[in-house]
Amino acid sequence: MDWVFLSELAINGALTGLLYSLFAIGLVLIYKASSVPNLAQGGLTMVGAYVVLALARDVGLPLWLAIPLAAVVMFGLGFGIERVALRRLAGRPVVMILMLTLGLDIFLRGTTLAIWGGTSRSMELGVSYDPLFLGDIFISRIHLVGAGVALALFVAFMLFFRTRTGIKLRAIADDYMASWSVGIAVERGVGLSWALASVVAVAAGVIWGEIQGVDQALSLLLLKGLTVAVLGGLDSILGAVIAGIILGVVENVGADFLDPLVGGGSRELIVAAVLILTVMIRPHGLFGRHDIERV
Amino acid sequence: MQEKVEAQNILSMNSVEVLYDNVMLAIKGVSVQVPKGEMIALLGSNGAGKSTTLKAISGLLKAERGRISRGEITFQGTDITEALAQKRVEMGICHVIEGRRVFEHLTPDENLTAAAPRGMSRSTLNAEKEKIYGYFPRLAERKNSQAGYLSGGEQQMLAIGRALVTQPRLLMLDEPSLGLAPFLVEEIFGILQKINKDEGLSVLLVEQNALAALEIVSQGYLIENGRVVMHGTAEALKSNSDIQEFYLGGGETDFHNVKHYSRRKRWLS
Repeated sequence: MDWVFLSELAINGALTGLLYSLFAIGLVLIYKASSVPNLAQGGLTMVGAYVVLALARDVGLPLWLAIPLAAVVMFGLGFGIERVALRRLAGRPVVMILMLTLGLDIFLRGTTLAIWGGTSRSMELGVSYDPLFLGDIFISRIHLVGAGVALALFVAFMLFFRTRTGIKLRAIADDYMASWSVGIAVERGVGLSWALASVVAVAAGVIWGEIQGVDQALSLLLLKGLTVAVLGGLDSILGAVIAGIILGVVENVGADFLDPLVGGGSRELIVAAVLILTVMIRPHGLFGRHDIERV
Repeated sequence: MQEKVEAQNILSMNSVEVLYDNVMLAIKGVSVQVPKGEMIALLGSNGAGKSTTLKAISGLLKAERGRISRGEITFQGTDITEALAQKRVEMGICHVIEGRRVFEHLTPDENLTAAAPRGMSRSTLNAEKEKIYGYFPRLAERKNSQAGYLSGGEQQMLAIGRALVTQPRLLMLDEPSLGLAPFLVEEIFGILQKINKDEGLSVLLVEQNALAALEIVSQGYLIENGRVVMHGTAEALKSNSDIQEFYLGGGETDFHNVKHYSRRKRWLS
């Protein structure tokens, strides 16, 4: 057993996992504020990355300006989605809203394909590709940056949900009708959660775009992000962070053991197994809220 | 003369009809007046249209695909028939909906925070909370536990407290006594009465527990089949023999003299 190699796998797995968390935080935000699992988060992430590229390459802005500007654009898009599509469905069964978000995801993918085509574009953040060595362990710098962004967003949103606006969003997720009855602007709250999730999508899109290029495949992050969110408990931001690390480590270490046996491709299997087992064994995830039933 | 009446009534509902899904007529021309500073009860059996009446006033009908198809509602002289629910809360109407419906995953303290109107300063909010904890000391004790685990009575108190944070002028309560032990009902009704006296808050109370309700209100409306079938002071209603038999229980207690035919609600047809 090579311990150095194993810890390298684990540390890089954890860093990759935090990048999944970065994506999953967007899912959790929307769930926490409206009890809807947003299947369009993958599409939003991809759009976020494309908008950054459009501002940087096609308009010619420097990246440090293009990214915040894209965040503003996406913030508006998030609000717009609520206004145009979700508002009509407020208070309807969750499954209808779920289908709507699925339709939205397909729509976003189709739109980006029509505008920017299918070829992969590269996102150059200027982060050095030189390896970083921690003792004998090799660490990728971009992963480190991404993990830092994920942790920063985690702290920011933990604080946000303690503010008055954050408490109102949690109240909306608990009970739409009761929220209306005390004058909470439910529609605006849901819009705000989509807007914030869209900003998170920009962050995830930029980091993942740098790692794997900006193309349609970015939207497939949804599968891993959803797994992380479900494992973490869907409405827990802390859960998303911890579940991200767990999934990243399990996937990286597990694949190293399994790949030689099955001839590759075991990563996807591990992710699928984690998702299925979570739902079967612990449907509330690690930190999710339980529905309270009093007897 | 007309204006004087308007000024006395904080809420005036005139021949209101409500349709659900554009087909089902839930209330058929209900008129209810709430004089400023008074407590009024809407009585009647299950499905009579009492809850729908409250939702028509608070604007929550829309969430259940209902709408007011005829009639008008004025609050403090302003027509609110078409106003959004949120706007009505801002104007001073707050509706404690049926079944308590506290925000279960929030603490009681956060429940109160969630209801704070936009722009309410932190110090005003804290003063409001202190006042509410003053009315309901049990809530103060448990203000940082999870609201979903409070007892039924405590949840009802929290639901009322949460409504008070919005600083209403008219408080509407839908079956606050549902599923509560009689001593708790008494406690909660007592507190309502106190708030009504202390702050001049007008109250519109929907109750199946007519006996308890008629003890604290000044007037009552009896609603059946979506219509107001009787209206009078609490005293008059309490002494009405039909009300006694159908809504208060009692009436015939001597079983040797029980009538052989079953009496029916004559005022329905």
